[in-house]
Amino acid sequence: MSNVAISARRLSPGAKAALGIFARYGTIIGLLAMIATFSILSPGAFPTVSNFTNVLNQASLAMIIAGGLTLAVVVGELDLSIGFAASLHGILITGLVVHDKLPIPLAVVIVIALGAVIGLVNGFIVTKVKVNSVIATLGVGTILTGLAFAYSAGVPIVAGVPEAFLQLSLGRWLFGIPNNIVAMIVVLGGLWLLVERTPLGQEIQAVGGNAVAARLAGVNVDRIKILGFVISGMCAALTGILLASRLGSGTASAADSYLLTAFAAVFLGSATLRDGEFHVLGTLVGALIIAFGFNGLNIFGAPTFSQYVLQGAILIIAVGMASLGRSLAER
Amino acid sequence: MAAPFLVARDIAKAFGGTQALKGVSLDIAPGEIHGLVGANGAGKSTFIRILAGLNHPDAGRVEIDGQGREIGTPQRATELGMSFIHQELAFVPGMTVLQNIMLGVPKKTRFGLTDWRAIARDVAPIARRVGISAPLNAGVKGLSTAEIWLINICRALVRKARLIVMDEPTASLAASEAERLFAIVRDLSASGVAVLYISHRLDEILSLCTRVSVFRDGRSVAELAGDALNRPALVEAIVGGAIRDVQRAATARQRGDVVMEAKKLTRAPKVHGVSLQLHAGEVLGIGGLVGAGRTELARLLFGADRPDSGEMMLMGRPYAPASPAAAVQAGLGLVPEERRAEALFLSKSIAFNLGIANLDKLAFGRYLPLMNRRARTSMAGEMIRSLSIKAQSASTPVGRLSGGNQQKVAIGRWLQRIPKVLILDEPTRGVDIGARAEIHRLIRQQAEAGMAVLVISSEPDELPELCDRVLVMAEGRIVRELTGPAVSRKAIVEASYLEPEAVMEDHPA
Repeated sequence: MSNVAISARRLSPGAKAALGIFARYGTIIGLLAMIATFSILSPGAFPTVSNFTNVLNQASLAMIIAGGLTLAVVVGELDLSIGFAASLHGILITGLVVHDKLPIPLAVVIVIALGAVIGLVNGFIVTKVKVNSVIATLGVGTILTGLAFAYSAGVPIVAGVPEAFLQLSLGRWLFGIPNNIVAMIVVLGGLWLLVERTPLGQEIQAVGGNAVAARLAGVNVDRIKILGFVISGMCAALTGILLASRLGSGTASAADSYLLTAFAAVFLGSATLRDGEFHVLGTLVGALIIAFGFNGLNIFGAPTFSQYVLQGAILIIAVGMASLGRSLAER
Repeated sequence: MAAPFLVARDIAKAFGGTQALKGVSLDIAPGEIHGLVGANGAGKSTFIRILAGLNHPDAGRVEIDGQGREIGTPQRATELGMSFIHQELAFVPGMTVLQNIMLGVPKKTRFGLTDWRAIARDVAPIARRVGISAPLNAGVKGLSTAEIWLINICRALVRKARLIVMDEPTASLAASEAERLFAIVRDLSASGVAVLYISHRLDEILSLCTRVSVFRDGRSVAELAGDALNRPALVEAIVGGAIRDVQRAATARQRGDVVMEAKKLTRAPKVHGVSLQLHAGEVLGIGGLVGAGRTELARLLFGADRPDSGEMMLMGRPYAPASPAAAVQAGLGLVPEERRAEALFLSKSIAFNLGIANLDKLAFGRYLPLMNRRARTSMAGEMIRSLSIKAQSASTPVGRLSGGNQQKVAIGRWLQRIPKVLILDEPTRGVDIGARAEIHRLIRQQAEAGMAVLVISSEPDELPELCDRVLVMAEGRIVRELTGPAVSRKAIVEASYLEPEAVMEDHPA
């Protein structure tokens, strides 16, 4: 550390400016470099419209849940319940459609409403009971896992899934754009609009920036935090629904791994464009880095373990370099 | 008198552009209980930090036992025989009494392991001497502040301190606990340990100390002992004989109706039975010492805390805000004391910081809840011009502005709303002279336009310059009201040192 500190004092203004740029655009540069590298190494398989569409389609579910998580972290809290919640939502919607024969739109509305309720519970425990959000959401998430097992009696729901339900995720929209991508664009676009372009979004940013100051400026901090959790819960529900549709089944732990992917995307995003702040556009970039990284490794037939190593390493390197670059540039 | 243990000569220290110490001198004999008094900002804390090795003096000389010494680090201060007990007591909640006594003290070892049994044998008599009643191996959790104090004193003695510096020792002690502390201080003195006793409570100073040094504006202005050591002389020295001529604000104006009223507001432990009336068009000052309960009072008025008892009226109607949000809705604004921690979003733009209290004005409309960014930018630009905030543009992050300009942003946020009541807590702390004058002008302007303004300030000159009327608080109570020509630096400082118990009866309810 002291070596870094000493060398930083000798940095020229130009080097400082370069470091500042690197801190902000490093992740985007990294994403483009990665795409370029894979394109050169595998010109036939990687840089094709169908592969890119495929990558986006695959990544859409992670992007949606990560977009929701972004709202929770923007208001200064963590939501660890999202992966478990999405698993429960997936099994629940399958059950509602297959066993209870509910019309699909109604089932979707019910499940997304449940997602909102879970967010409400998380937010209430954090703001009113004043339990640390890591503990509160981990506890709620664990309960949800239990409920998922209880609902499915430990057996995945696979038989009798109607075609219309599969089409939720597998279907295509205008110009053949997959539904997942459309949903992702609508959700992330809406979240971006909310946070960046509405008066409510200003309050959301204020609460995350300095909760004490926000309160003394007349912002209802608890209400905003609860809203963050509710949006996070609703996005988890949507991801759970689309995943169940894509898999054609409901399994009690199908979406659990989305938790880590979502956190990786959100924190990669905080190292993008803005100095360590969480924001929707950053999350999008973070999720793209992970998606293209995985896809590239898949194309080269890299073993599964290397994908996890890559995801962990990219996260630490990107966030680490951004914060290091920032602190050097600011000296 | 014996040869002094400590001699400090002409110590000076500047922080940035502020000369905190201009030249203070003081000497302490072995076993002496030496008092140190002075108003807020007189330089007491800076002086202590220099003795403790936390700051380095720009000029001056420190001698210990007649030898010139460079203190340099806190470790060195300890080696030289000085121990410090700050207001925020040093202790670790999860540890035992003995572990807390031995915090940072080199410990006896046996085969490389800490030999707690031998340490306990050594410490036990010292703990008995200062009157620690809890067993040494008991946890400190649940011990009273007074007992933590004793642990700190015991630590000083284990370190073989020859001078113990105590900063406001009785501020958080009950009367009986304070009596016990005095007995221990006298006992220390009898055994040859000197005590530098810093307090705002002049009665304690008078009963304990044989000699008292008075600091004012970064200088040591008096040393009183023997017959010369009495209350009037202390107050005189603290306030200063020659009062600087302060330009009083014009006060001939007619003040308007009562806008806000508080009746016997209480929130333990800092606010007790405070009643006040705030009129439209007046600047009402709240004076007093740091810790007198002024910020806590402001938080009650603004709904940031709930009172234990008492009531408030706003525009003649009952007013009991459940949150700052409710207070803002009702027409209040607060510029808090710690602007960086409590008021501003440092990484956000000026426009963001100004807009956050005015979001209702920035939407396109009820049915289109998008933010009108052009309106926000032009509102910010207008504020930047009218408050002459020095910044490149409305999108400059507030963290990059100077203290004075940051404060203007914190104030400007409310001006857009035109609140009925604006409360400013230490509005010019850490602000340069030019910006200070501008902020004062701004505050007067608002009052002249009919706003009711409440200003809290610890700076003795600020309230006479700014206010039509001043209430002085001491230990959570309003002890004096000063109006018109009676508002002066001297009157405010004098009243700040009043004992609330003595004036309770004649204080107007």
